[in-house]
Amino acid sequence: MKYLLMIYGNQEKWESMPADAWRDAVARQEAFNAKYRQTGELLGSYGLADAARARLVRRVNGLPAVTDGPYLETKEYMASFWLLDCDGQERAEQIAADMPFADDEPVELWPVLHESAADQ
Amino acid sequence: MTGAPDIGELLRELAPEVLGALVRRYGRFGACEDAVQEAMLAALTSWPASGVPDSPKGWLLTVASRRLIDDVRSEHARRRREQEDAAATPVEQPWEPGAEHDDSLTLLFLCCHPALSGPSQIALTLRAVGGLTTAQIAAAFLVPEATMGQRISRAKEAIRASGARFEMPGPAERPARLGIVLHVLYLIFNEGYTATAGAGLTTPELSGEAIRLTRWLHRLLPRDAEVTGLLALMLLTDARWAARTGPDGSLIPLGEQDRSRWDQAKITEGVALVSAVLPAGQVGPYQVQAAIAAVHDEAESVGTTDWPQILGLYELLEQLAPGPMVSLNRAVAVAMVAGPAAGLGLLGELESDRRLAGHHRLHATRAHLLEMSGDLPGAVTSYREAARRTTSFPERRYLTGRAARLAE
Repeated sequence: MKYLLMIYGNQEKWESMPADAWRDAVARQEAFNAKYRQTGELLGSYGLADAARARLVRRVNGLPAVTDGPYLETKEYMASFWLLDCDGQERAEQIAADMPFADDEPVELWPVLHESAADQ
Repeated sequence: MTGAPDIGELLRELAPEVLGALVRRYGRFGACEDAVQEAMLAALTSWPASGVPDSPKGWLLTVASRRLIDDVRSEHARRRREQEDAAATPVEQPWEPGAEHDDSLTLLFLCCHPALSGPSQIALTLRAVGGLTTAQIAAAFLVPEATMGQRISRAKEAIRASGARFEMPGPAERPARLGIVLHVLYLIFNEGYTATAGAGLTTPELSGEAIRLTRWLHRLLPRDAEVTGLLALMLLTDARWAARTGPDGSLIPLGEQDRSRWDQAKITEGVALVSAVLPAGQVGPYQVQAAIAAVHDEAESVGTTDWPQILGLYELLEQLAPGPMVSLNRAVAVAMVAGPAAGLGLLGELESDRRLAGHHRLHATRAHLLEMSGDLPGAVTSYREAARRTTSFPERRYLTGRAARLAE
């Protein structure tokens, strides 16, 4: 069963973080990623670029029309996401609670609807 | 799995015997497993041109042993400690025949060791006993090959760390260990059965593979009633495979399936197996589930199904293996025998079960019974609620469609 983990953040919070706290946070996150890659439960971990790099793409008269910005006007936006493939909901919750950031901010956990769910 | 009895099939039949013999002689399960995989890959590349050798098993044993020797030697060279592992250095000597069955079975028990997580047991069983490659297993579970590789090496590491030995579990431990083995095989079957195959030549069909392995286990343990029951259950379920999805991949419930598309050969075989084993008296959950499937498979329609018998079987199953899903199914049988109100009454009692609270199956069952009772608005609400909560995409489509149809 596949699961998506997401963490959110905002510009203010990240800018207020001291440089060595970042280094430490990244190291802890790397350790988390390595741990679950090794168990064969982490399919991928992806960090998103700054919101300033987000674009909205529409098709206008058959041609791409690109504008700035995330779609939703919120302060918080998705920072990173992880794709898991593990035993079930309980295990996914365990892994989510092992995320280094889970001490400060909640980790959002979504089951992925895919077609090999052995859901009995 | 392509048509004619090909080299791949032959190799997969031989895989557990070769690996079992190797592990019995040398220990080192992890290294032996790698060596057998390499020997099988070598056979896949050389046999099509050179022809299958007179003794394919002997060929594989020789090649795998050589790989193992090479591995051990290079390990020694690296460590410059040649004496320490001398006892484990493989020596070429004749292989005694006759131990294959025990070895293969021991191997299956080892792959389903309780120290491993469920996904690891499945992955290791498919590779070491099923003879599939890591790439094939990864494709079947829709995960990257590297992830599946990690899962398998992690599983081997867990076996090593647990100190598990290559031997059959003792009589006291054996029923519980066999229970895990059967559960793993059933999970493999269900994974294949619920998946809408991402067909491709390299993607093995998992339910077929689970049936092959269970058939093989049944040959090794012909007198075990639950092994027979599980094989029957798989065949009787798989028989409906072609009828359970529409051309667009949508789910067709049992009541609406075109029963002429059910596989009669599988039904006949499954019914024969379960009929032979039930009267013997060692009744277990797989046999009872197989008996339920047999009653469905032998009926010409939902209306002519022997529901009182199904209800009796669910009552028996609830005693043997109580669980919320069994109770839900019993509620459906009660509704078919005594009317929807009786079934809904039973559902009301189940709602307090925390394992079921918010589960999509509870909502889907209520929707179904409300529809039967003529309460269409109530059924629509429950179908929608069930659709929101399922984690299976085809099921969500089915439930949403059902709600939409009733709402019209």
